[in-house]
Amino acid sequence: MNLIIGSTLKTLIVGAGMGGLRTAESLRRYRYPGHIHILGDEWHMPYNRPPLSKSLLAQDQELAQVSFPIKSDDLNTEFTLGDGVRQLSMEQQSVTLQSGKKIEFDFLVAATGLRSKKLVFPNNLQSGRFALRTFDDAKAIRQAVGSGKDVVILGSGFIGLEVAATLKGLGCRVKIVAMEDIPLGLILGEPFGEEIRRRHETKGIEFYLNNRVTDLVGNTAITHVKLVDGQSLPCDIFIEAIGSAANVEWLEGNELNLSDGLLTDSSLHAVKSNGTSVSNLFGVGDIARFPNIRFELPPRRIEHWNIPLESSRRAAREIVRQVVPGSIEGFESEGGFNPLPTFWSDQFEFSILSYGEPRLADEIRLLEGNLGEEFIFAYLREGSLVGVAGIGMKSKINEMRKDIIK
Amino acid sequence: MITIKVDMDKCQHYGQCVYEAPDIFKLNENNKLEYLASADESERDNVKSASDTCPMQAIQVFD
Ligand SMILES: Cc1cc2nc3c(=O)[nH]c(=O)nc-3n(C[C@H](O)[C@H](O)[C@H](O)COP(=O)(O)OP(=O)(O)OC[C@H]3O[C@@H](n4cnc5c(N)ncnc54)[C@H](O)[C@@H]3O)c2cc1C
Ligand code: SF4
Repeated sequence: MNLIIGSTLKTLIVGAGMGGLRTAESLRRYRYPGHIHILGDEWHMPYNRPPLSKSLLAQDQELAQVSFPIKSDDLNTEFTLGDGVRQLSMEQQSVTLQSGKKIEFDFLVAATGLRSKKLVFPNNLQSGRFALRTFDDAKAIRQAVGSGKDVVILGSGFIGLEVAATLKGLGCRVKIVAMEDIPLGLILGEPFGEEIRRRHETKGIEFYLNNRVTDLVGNTAITHVKLVDGQSLPCDIFIEAIGSAANVEWLEGNELNLSDGLLTDSSLHAVKSNGTSVSNLFGVGDIARFPNIRFELPPRRIEHWNIPLESSRRAAREIVRQVVPGSIEGFESEGGFNPLPTFWSDQFEFSILSYGEPRLADEIRLLEGNLGEEFIFAYLREGSLVGVAGIGMKSKINEMRKDIIK
Repeated sequence: MITIKVDMDKCQHYGQCVYEAPDIFKLNENNKLEYLASADESERDNVKSASDTCPMQAIQVFD
């Protein structure tokens, strides 16, 4: 591709979340010489999402407490907020915003993340019904809840469990309904999942597992939810925590592979339906479905916080390599994008820390500690360590991360 | 010299920072964070990376 010099060079970043911000920061860090413009559909400057289900919800914090600190001079980036991208045209190398405004680019970074999935019920009431992805969502939940309220959470994944713990702490009566038998059982293994359930039950959270909500009951607002097993649960606040869908609609019509996120190659270039990579379009963060070199698995999205961070650095290096060849030391020999999935979760007074892909294990070993207290599990696939996870014992878990297969 | 400050009310002792700047941050035997409050200019990039990586956004770097 021909290079565009200095001031006329323009990188557009779509999505003003963590992935978007970190891409701009990394570009500046690697001395990218051109203009950077971040476009976001939310009205807020980039903020940190993990506190939304934890401290922000618990303490009713304001946006300033979760916003990422920005040094504007160093960042030297234009922001357009509250006006999302409606459509990309690769042919014209431009995007059209909701407002109709058109902006051209030399490089484009897709960082539009995910949105919460919501079900459709026969009595599809909306009042009293929530999901949690954005600051505004968290504020809406916080305003609705209060001591003595009946909360029903659908889904026993990380967000469901964290919200359950936080709202219990605010004095709500909390019930979790989920399709699986054991919360997080498929992700962390059955003994770990059972232990999490036990800890939640000890705190007074009720589980309705192997179950499903079939309908909502109420005239204008929800009063009960109906379960597939015939039970009816009192409900003032219904929170759907059943997973997310990738925000890829604006990328449609450009022959890109958009099945479950934006497919990328191992250096995060977008991949077309015919399998070829696009040199000036990148996917970063939750939206990117990248090849899993480390675990020799088909490409998939990873919804953990370290992915926007690491993928944005990598995409920024790819851009700078094209713009100023030879400027990044040792970069020509960089291998495929190979991040170690990392996540943590705070629920009540315990915190879970995990590295790698525990769900791939064919053998799970309790390595240290006791289930009732602090412990570490090792996850093995054909004898190799693919993951390590536990409660407490953080320095030991951190030490073990280097033993996970490369 | 740079000055480093960790908000210990925010820090959850995950130790992500340890990987980015191992000479500055470590988790001690009690799984608690220990760190150096000042460091040489040459550590600036590492400490900045640590600050980016911190899940609780607890690390600040000053000139
Ligand atoms: C409640 C909650 C708790 C979490 N807790 C943890 C945790 O404990 N540990 C962990 O590892 N991870 C956690 N995560 C996951 C982590 O926050 C995500 O991995 C991370 O936010 C992904 O960043 P991103 O930049 O890819 O996407 P996002 O942060 O979703 O940013 C994408 C942005 O793009 C915007 N956008 C969408 N479409 C358009 C468009 N067409 N035009 C313009 N802008 C658009 C979106 O509105 C959004 O602002 C949590 C997530 C949530 C929601
Ligand atoms: S990464 Fe942040 S939360 Fe974790 S130990 Fe370091 S300062 Fe504390």
